Amino acid sequence: MTDGGMAIRTRGLTKVYGGRAQLPGLRPRRAPGGAGNGPGDSSEGPPPNGHRGGLVAVDHVNMEVPQGGIFGLLGPNGAGKTTIIKLLTGLVDLTDGEAQVAGYDVRTHPLHVKANVGWVAAEVILDDDLSGWENLWLQAKLQRLTDWKPRAETLLEYFELTDRRKDRVGTYSTGMRKKMEIALALLHQPQVIFMDEPTIGLDPNVRRMLWKLITGVNHEFGTTVLLTSHYIEEADALCDRVAIIDRGKFVATGTPNELKARIRSDFIEIETGTEVTQAQLAAIPGVSEVRSQGKAWILKVSSAEECLPHLFAALSQHAIKRINVEKPSLESVFIDITGKRLDQAGGDVQDFRKFYMNVRRARQ
Amino acid sequence: MSAATRSVSLSAGRKIATGDRIPQLSQFWGLYARELLKTFRNPFVILITMVQPFMWLAFFGGMFSTVPSTALQGLGIHGASYLSFLLPGVLATGMMSIGMFGSMSTIQDKRFGFMKRILITPTTKATVYLTKALGSATRGLVQVPVMLVAALAFGVTLHGDLLSWCAWILGLVFLGFGFSAFFLAITASSTDWQTPGVISNFITMPLMFASGAMMPSSIYPSWMKAIADVNPVGFSASLSRDALTYGVFTSSDVATLAWLGAFALLMVVIGTLIASKYLRVE
Repeated sequence: MTDGGMAIRTRGLTKVYGGRAQLPGLRPRRAPGGAGNGPGDSSEGPPPNGHRGGLVAVDHVNMEVPQGGIFGLLGPNGAGKTTIIKLLTGLVDLTDGEAQVAGYDVRTHPLHVKANVGWVAAEVILDDDLSGWENLWLQAKLQRLTDWKPRAETLLEYFELTDRRKDRVGTYSTGMRKKMEIALALLHQPQVIFMDEPTIGLDPNVRRMLWKLITGVNHEFGTTVLLTSHYIEEADALCDRVAIIDRGKFVATGTPNELKARIRSDFIEIETGTEVTQAQLAAIPGVSEVRSQGKAWILKVSSAEECLPHLFAALSQHAIKRINVEKPSLESVFIDITGKRLDQAGGDVQDFRKFYMNVRRARQ
Repeated sequence: MSAATRSVSLSAGRKIATGDRIPQLSQFWGLYARELLKTFRNPFVILITMVQPFMWLAFFGGMFSTVPSTALQGLGIHGASYLSFLLPGVLATGMMSIGMFGSMSTIQDKRFGFMKRILITPTTKATVYLTKALGSATRGLVQVPVMLVAALAFGVTLHGDLLSWCAWILGLVFLGFGFSAFFLAITASSTDWQTPGVISNFITMPLMFASGAMMPSSIYPSWMKAIADVNPVGFSASLSRDALTYGVFTSSDVATLAWLGAFALLMVVIGTLIASKYLRVE
């Protein structure tokens, strides 16, 4: 953690799930080169890049995360964020490309990578039958630590869990479980910590507390953080750099401010009670682009303040059910690049059901 | 702030040279201890593990309790009672079916995601596999003392020869380890709760009856006898019989023990290869 190099570096990182492997939340996509070829058509052998007809979860991702930084992967559910974490932690094999994490090649030295990274799951994974201290003990054994007790005590203090250390983790509140998980991830002083949707399913207070913890961990322990999120404000508040990811591809990378500076326009999202045509909206002064999103329309405008009077005038015959102005933000960056709102791009409903099922199962 | 500064000096820069293999002993002990902790902290599991073979003695043994000993001798049962014949067999079949629990707890770990937590540490799949197999074999041994007490309560006379008892216990460990390894290997890629139960039922029942555990294999038809001749359950039952019922340790017992050892070793080697490749993470 002193040589100032890259904590994470990938080149052409690609993961294609084969025909039989299922990844919940991912929509089937054809790999490049697979267009027009059915899955059963195998007579001509694999294409040069070696994957055809599979589910492309991560598509040639290049990234560099300097040591000590907080890097955010921002994208809808099913965009490939979790798969990137699985690839970088050596949990699943790379289909193509290369990745170095904490100075080791994920392909050739997966166990060495794992000895130097920590991981916080979206669904909070602990052994509920064991106490907090026993969970720490097990993690210490798995990470082959010898002198771990002082650090474990420090972490328990830091996360305010000291007086519950002897209780079964199953009796902890959701916030405490999350803190416990982060304590486990930090026990072996990893160079990099991966946090998958760290605040999903938490109430706003716990979420803010966790934001503080994440930046605190980053500053005080000097740990590089890679987190995924589909909450705009989370990425904006926490990350030095953000990559916007959609359908397995990085569509934009930069600091939150750089990304926001790319957008010189505002967005107006509007839903009307009666039918409006695209041409009607495009004719309004100041509107440079019109896209439909479900029942609503998204208008790209130079300035919302100047455009709104024209918009109201043009739609005076229509009842406006909902109107939403999006000033330059990571959300509008996402809209600009992908044409969709972040929270509507993925298969949210399904994913949330799965998430809460997991939580319920884990709490039993 | 004091909390943070104190921690920095500890074990910092624990970097392992590239090319080194990462030893697995610490992880092995951690996971094995977890298996034991989880088992012995769950009174229900212990209770069922103990009661199951006891039911065999009570109900299956009960059927024969009024059969005159001349009729039993006609079947080739020469002990003091049928129970004293049955007890060793029940212990052996119990060790076989205990392997199912290892598979089930593995599937539970996959379902709850705990397998991910384990495998995002420098722990190999082989280590996970071996600790699960050893864990369920250990769990199987829980029933031994209970069964002995139960047998005494039913009026069975136990013989005691230290060497034969050691051979018997070791044989049970081999049997339990071998079958746990086997069940774990065939459910390595499964995440379905029901699979271990179905597979275990499918395999346990024939092996139990074609073993000489319930009845002497001398009365079997030739095809069942052929199975019994290589069935590890039968081998373990005959080791127990020599130890508990007859109190002898013969040269053929050495060969029996060696075969059980070979069975366990073979299962573990094949299973480890399968698990390293096919053990699913979730």
